[in-house]
Amino acid sequence: MAQHTVTVRGLVRQFGDRRVLDDLDLVVRQGEFVALLGRSGSGKSTLLRVLAGLDREADGETTVNGTVSVAFQQPRLLPWRRVWRNVSLGLHGVDARSVADKALAEVQLTDHAQAWPLTLSGGEAQRVSLARALVREPDLLLLDEPFGALDALTRLAMHRLVDDLWQRHRPSVLLVTHDIDEALALADRVLVLDEGRIVAEHTPPVGRPRRHADLTELRTRVLADLGVTLDEAA
Amino acid sequence: MLSGAWRWLSPVGLLLLWQIASGTGILSEDKLASPTKVLAAGIDLATSGQLGDAFVVSLRRVLLGVAVGAVIALALGLTAGLSRWGAVLVDPPVQMLRTLPFLGLIPLFIIWFGIGEEPKIALVALGFAFPLYLNVYAGIRDTDPQLLEATAVLGFTRWERLLHVVLPAALPQALVGLRQGLGVAWLSLIVGEQINADAGLGYLINNARDFLRTDQVVVGLVVYAGLGLATDALVRALERKALRWRNTP
Ligand SMILES: Nc1ncnc2c1ncn2[C@@H]1O[C@H](COP(=O)(O)OP(=O)(O)O)[C@@H](O)[C@H]1O
Ligand SMILES: [Mg+2]
Repeated sequence: MAQHTVTVRGLVRQFGDRRVLDDLDLVVRQGEFVALLGRSGSGKSTLLRVLAGLDREADGETTVNGTVSVAFQQPRLLPWRRVWRNVSLGLHGVDARSVADKALAEVQLTDHAQAWPLTLSGGEAQRVSLARALVREPDLLLLDEPFGALDALTRLAMHRLVDDLWQRHRPSVLLVTHDIDEALALADRVLVLDEGRIVAEHTPPVGRPRRHADLTELRTRVLADLGVTLDEAA
Repeated sequence: MLSGAWRWLSPVGLLLLWQIASGTGILSEDKLASPTKVLAAGIDLATSGQLGDAFVVSLRRVLLGVAVGAVIALALGLTAGLSRWGAVLVDPPVQMLRTLPFLGLIPLFIIWFGIGEEPKIALVALGFAFPLYLNVYAGIRDTDPQLLEATAVLGFTRWERLLHVVLPAALPQALVGLRQGLGVAWLSLIVGEQINADAGLGYLINNARDFLRTDQVVVGLVVYAGLGLATDALVRALERKALRWRNTP
């Protein structure tokens, strides 16, 4: 049996008397790309923080096999360390510079290795953040709306990049997003989070890159799960 | 926009007015010597070596006081900033002491340290330490929790988080504290040097006062001012170097 990278059973997270996660179950298989959709405030980040080990107040059973890296919505780079240092800091027992250079080459930022983070554009900073997460060769890569703040064109380029990186390194990925097209374009499995649990699961057609036209019907169904009917959306 | 050389117009004009007032006797030399007299006195004091000696003595007081104050402020600021118990134990008493007008402590300092170098150095140290402590503490506490969280996930050790996140995050604020502290340090020196000084710029000024040498008094003041400006420029240069990551082109 293939090992599961993430196994969550009966996860409950309460803030005050509000149950943000309510008896949630989730499995992410090894090397699988899972997208988690949900409206704003549905508890996506809360779930991710539990999986990243940043929230130890949650009840329930959470097992993560292997190492974890996170890329957040904000790149969260250290502004006072150069780009290559941001990528390699915290890594131990490696040749930091060459490892960083290799990772930066993968996100097409070789020329910016020496730059200060504040001089980067939003997309570039987010690519550094991706390189920083990937350079740790994580078994599980958690992405919390990492492209939410980017313009549409940059976002498309980032989708191709993430797809590419995932195919090359094959970590398990849990991508949290509220962008349906992003989820459908990238994931093996699309989950919908609502009222504190996973309420729906969809499997986009295999094969990449996916054509937008092939996804229209699935898109409508996912929208319905999110409580949006198409004439409302139009 | 008028700028550059024109900004010197009114200062030079005032200097000329001062010279004219002295020359015509409107301003008597007992009250304030003329600029040319001050310049001559400056050259005089410099060539005789008196000014240099006084300068070295005063500079030494400031450097020692600042060094002592920095050790105290950094030790307390780091303790309060980095540990919960440190904050609970250190910050309240420091905040209370801060409300004391520290120059009012001079009588106590004389009782404790006598009238030699020690009370002067202690006064500088105290004046310097408070602004530095407050800013170091505030800087550490304001470290972006999101960065701390991110680096925790990235596997930073505690030491790496201190070195690469907390201390650099606190540095801009700490440098503000350094600048404020140095400003207070110079004031403390000037006040401290009124205590029975037998050397230093304060002594030179007091001595000149006894002989109504207003030209020498002004020379002393100019040197004080120059020292203040020089340290400020030094800190600015330090800031530019240490915070160059902020100067996005
Ligand atoms: N530390 C916290 N304290 C109180 N409420 C919180 C906390 N973190 C998140 N919440 C609440 O939990 C809900 C889900 O938040 P979040 O997981 O960030 O949603 P999203 O799906 O948009 O990422 C929100 O209503 C938010 O206000
Ligand atoms: Mg969120």
